[in-house]
Amino acid sequence: MKTHLAFALLSCFLVSTDVLANRVKQGSLDEKIMQLEEWSLKKPAMRFNGEKFRNYVKNTPRNYSIVVMLTALQPQRNCAVCKKADEEFQIVANSWRYSPFFNNKLFLAVVDFDDGGDVFQALKINSAPMFIHFPPNGKPNKRLDYMDIQRFGFASEQLARWISERAEVQIRVFRPPNYSGVVLVLLTASMIGGLLYFKRNNLEFLYNRNAWATLASIFIMFMTSGQMWNQIRGTPLFHRNPSTGQIMYIHGSSQGQFVIESYLIMLLYAAVVAGVLLMNETSKQNLEPGKKRVFAMVGLIIFIFFFSLLLSIFRSKYPGYPYSLFL
Amino acid sequence: METEVLKHVEKVTSWLPRLSHDKRDTLLKFGVLAIAAVLSFATRLFSVLRFESVIHEFDPYFNYRTTRYLTENGFYQFHNWFDDRAWYPLGRIIGGTIYPGLMVTSAAFYHVMNYFNMTIDIRDVCVFLAPLFSSFTTIVTYHLAKELRDTASGLVAAALISVVPGYISRSVAGSYDNEGIAIFCMLLTYLMWIKAVKTGSIYYGTLCALAYFYMVSSWGGYVFLINLIPLHVLCLMITGRFSHKIYVAYSTVYCLGTVLSMQISFVGFQPVHTSEHMAALGVFGLCQIHSFVDYVRSKLSAEAFQKLFKTVVIAVAGVTLAIGTVLTVTGKVSPWTGRFYSLLDPSYAKNNIPIIASVSEHQPTAWSSFYFDLQMLVFMFPVGLYFCFKELTDANIFIIMYGVTSIYFAGVMVRLMLVLAPVMCILSGIGISATLQNFCRNMVQCSKEQKSTKKATDQSYPYKFEVSFSVVAILGLSLGLYGFHCVWVTAEAYSSPSIVLSARSGDGGRIIFDDFREAYYWLRQNTPEDAKVMSWWDYGYQITAMANRTILVDNNTWNNTHISRVGQAMSSTEDKAYEIMRELDVNYVLVIFGGLTGYSSDDINKFLWMVRIGGSTDRGSHIKENDYYTPQGEFRVDKQGSPVLLNCMMYKMCYYKFGQVYTEAGKPSGYDRVRNVEIGNKDFELDVLEEAYTTEHWLVRIYKVKDYENRGI
Repeated sequence: MKTHLAFALLSCFLVSTDVLANRVKQGSLDEKIMQLEEWSLKKPAMRFNGEKFRNYVKNTPRNYSIVVMLTALQPQRNCAVCKKADEEFQIVANSWRYSPFFNNKLFLAVVDFDDGGDVFQALKINSAPMFIHFPPNGKPNKRLDYMDIQRFGFASEQLARWISERAEVQIRVFRPPNYSGVVLVLLTASMIGGLLYFKRNNLEFLYNRNAWATLASIFIMFMTSGQMWNQIRGTPLFHRNPSTGQIMYIHGSSQGQFVIESYLIMLLYAAVVAGVLLMNETSKQNLEPGKKRVFAMVGLIIFIFFFSLLLSIFRSKYPGYPYSLFL
Repeated sequence: METEVLKHVEKVTSWLPRLSHDKRDTLLKFGVLAIAAVLSFATRLFSVLRFESVIHEFDPYFNYRTTRYLTENGFYQFHNWFDDRAWYPLGRIIGGTIYPGLMVTSAAFYHVMNYFNMTIDIRDVCVFLAPLFSSFTTIVTYHLAKELRDTASGLVAAALISVVPGYISRSVAGSYDNEGIAIFCMLLTYLMWIKAVKTGSIYYGTLCALAYFYMVSSWGGYVFLINLIPLHVLCLMITGRFSHKIYVAYSTVYCLGTVLSMQISFVGFQPVHTSEHMAALGVFGLCQIHSFVDYVRSKLSAEAFQKLFKTVVIAVAGVTLAIGTVLTVTGKVSPWTGRFYSLLDPSYAKNNIPIIASVSEHQPTAWSSFYFDLQMLVFMFPVGLYFCFKELTDANIFIIMYGVTSIYFAGVMVRLMLVLAPVMCILSGIGISATLQNFCRNMVQCSKEQKSTKKATDQSYPYKFEVSFSVVAILGLSLGLYGFHCVWVTAEAYSSPSIVLSARSGDGGRIIFDDFREAYYWLRQNTPEDAKVMSWWDYGYQITAMANRTILVDNNTWNNTHISRVGQAMSSTEDKAYEIMRELDVNYVLVIFGGLTGYSSDDINKFLWMVRIGGSTDRGSHIKENDYYTPQGEFRVDKQGSPVLLNCMMYKMCYYKFGQVYTEAGKPSGYDRVRNVEIGNKDFELDVLEEAYTTEHWLVRIYKVKDYENRGI
């Protein structure tokens, strides 16, 4: 019985001191949150300098997550990536600020190298941009709380997904509609409209077959050389072997391709087509006989040469492909 | 030109029995066409000769199952069929959610053959249907190209399409899928459309509508067609080629076609209220307005007409805009569906719908796959286009538009290569035959001149004969190469049934892996009739068709959350997975494992998609893709692999007892031959599952889900 009482008393005492300590902390914590909320209502991605960073991020107590982008936005730093990353981050911040789930569990902040160089030093970071998530308690995990830009990139969708995974909130990215596209379309439309209006008496140029034929052919070769693939997959221009420094312009397998490669293929296609068309020029009646022969031979040679070249490039991408033509 | 060809024909056919010009001409045409048709049937038989007469892959198994149901129970039963074997516990209404054209076609073939006492199994009808229809396609292509230019082009195009890999890929024997007959229907519709445009007769318009009806009944790709034809009409209007012929043709086709297409219950009222079909309706309206304006113009003075015209245009534009907005806002006009939208905005699917991004058919097309599937057509296509532009007719404008639009779609989605392949063949056929005709004519002229004057006079240019001969020879060589390429591609890439696998053994012999069928028959023989089998959705159709057991998800991926639930079960730990499996009433779990044989498209390689899809819904938000990677961001199954991966359900089911097996000489036990590593987690036991069956080469492993333990033990 006695022991029980003693235990109860002890726990009582413990609790009361705990509460007391908590109240002191709570006061400063509430203030901090109020302050943070006020700032983030004004500016969803808050600008922190070294001092604010220490106060609101480094120092405990803290019961909120905070995601910090470390960056270098000053023009003299010459960081083009930072600008883009900043735009994406602002989109995420705004989406969060105006989302229906907005609460004080998550704040977003930006530390510029020129405002808080000491932050970079404290975190031992020497590259920008960098996204770090500071969980409500404890230190950020090296692996999970440092966003891997190499792998995910910093598109706002990816950022939002990463943040919502780490901080366990829901962020739905809402991109502000891109008015530049609309403006561009309107501009071209008005230009075309204007052109048509001024030329309204003579619309013959619209029926120019050669123009349309050229356009169609370019479009076809654009597609058959896999430009759409480049567009969707975002392939690199070429590949540089990191160990030997050798530059590869043609992807070694049929699963991939490089931008330069696809342009090369486009040229080859164009050359072969030109060869065939040149051969067909001979059927024109009003051509000198000598020219006809030259056209036919040159066309034929172009056709053979570029076709063989195409075939050999294709063979290098498909190991085991059995056919070749001269080359 | 025709007489030139005839002369040439006469020269070539001098060895034939003496016949009149016309008869020889017909004989030759018929001969070439027959050979092309037979060839297109024959090249598609590689898989039947190598393996046996089996249905391929995944979707065809579903089609086969429904066809069998149709022949056994009749059309009305089929139409009302509620399938409780799929999507347990939801089930699926099959009659109203498929395009029945394919099944009805094979059932008709089956019944006709049986009526004449030719007893053929329905499976064989299904296996050989696609090659048969590709023979028909060859003939239709000939007629289409003939309408566009001339007989010679038709013959070349028919020969080209008979072996083009882009089309073969979807129509080999055993690949019993909608596309197999849909391409035939599509080309038939185009042929009838062009005839209707040329003649302006209601007869051909009606035939076109009927062909369109057949197309709608067989493939969802009909949407392309119902947008292309209005686009053609619109283009003809803009270029000032609109006439009464086109008015009659389009009005007939649109009215009849729409009414007919609404008879397919899967299509239903879509043709009148989805935005995919609105272009057709708009152009139909425009046709009426255009002809009305023409009529009014003929009755009014020029000035009065101008004034009237301006007012009416402004009023109509305003009203259309208002109505369009109202309908879209109130939801009467449904927004673009996901799959269609992914065509217009290529990055849409990648960012938004993992299940679309996971299907390799929905990927964009690299240049090498264009070349792989079309070879020399890729660059003969613009040549054909050049000849079409040289003499523009209504029909030529159509084929140009078909070419340009389909090449866009083929670039965005690799499976739409199928739509591109026919137009590639037709236009290349035109290009090649025009070039050949030019130079063959030269050769014929030269030899004539030599005969008549007995000496080589070079009237038009020096070495005319030699030059022409070399051009013809080189083109012939390239065409030969095209033939070899196509046969090689067909034999190597497109003729494996993927239900039966084959590999080369060390001594050069062929080993057959028949594990899939072994496993499915085991399920059929050894499990209770009402057992529920869980597997990744790829194998759903095969399990229902061959094992006749109930499955949770299948290749008809209509319910994302249900698939996600299965993904969660596969990627959770054992006890979490057990909860999900009990919730879904699962009795057996089936996984595909290639580690012993080196079969690379197994479930471990697909596993990241299961994680992604599993984590894409609310209930699976605890599943994070990152947890399955190593700190370096790699996906690996050896000792360095992430512990979450090494303890998840899928890993355990695949590698259960694998740690004790020696797979390759000189390697430790448990060496995975696909990932080429020794697995990281070898000694573990399964608590909630017990191994039920593993096939000969370990390709399929089946586990039984244990029941709850008795209380009090």
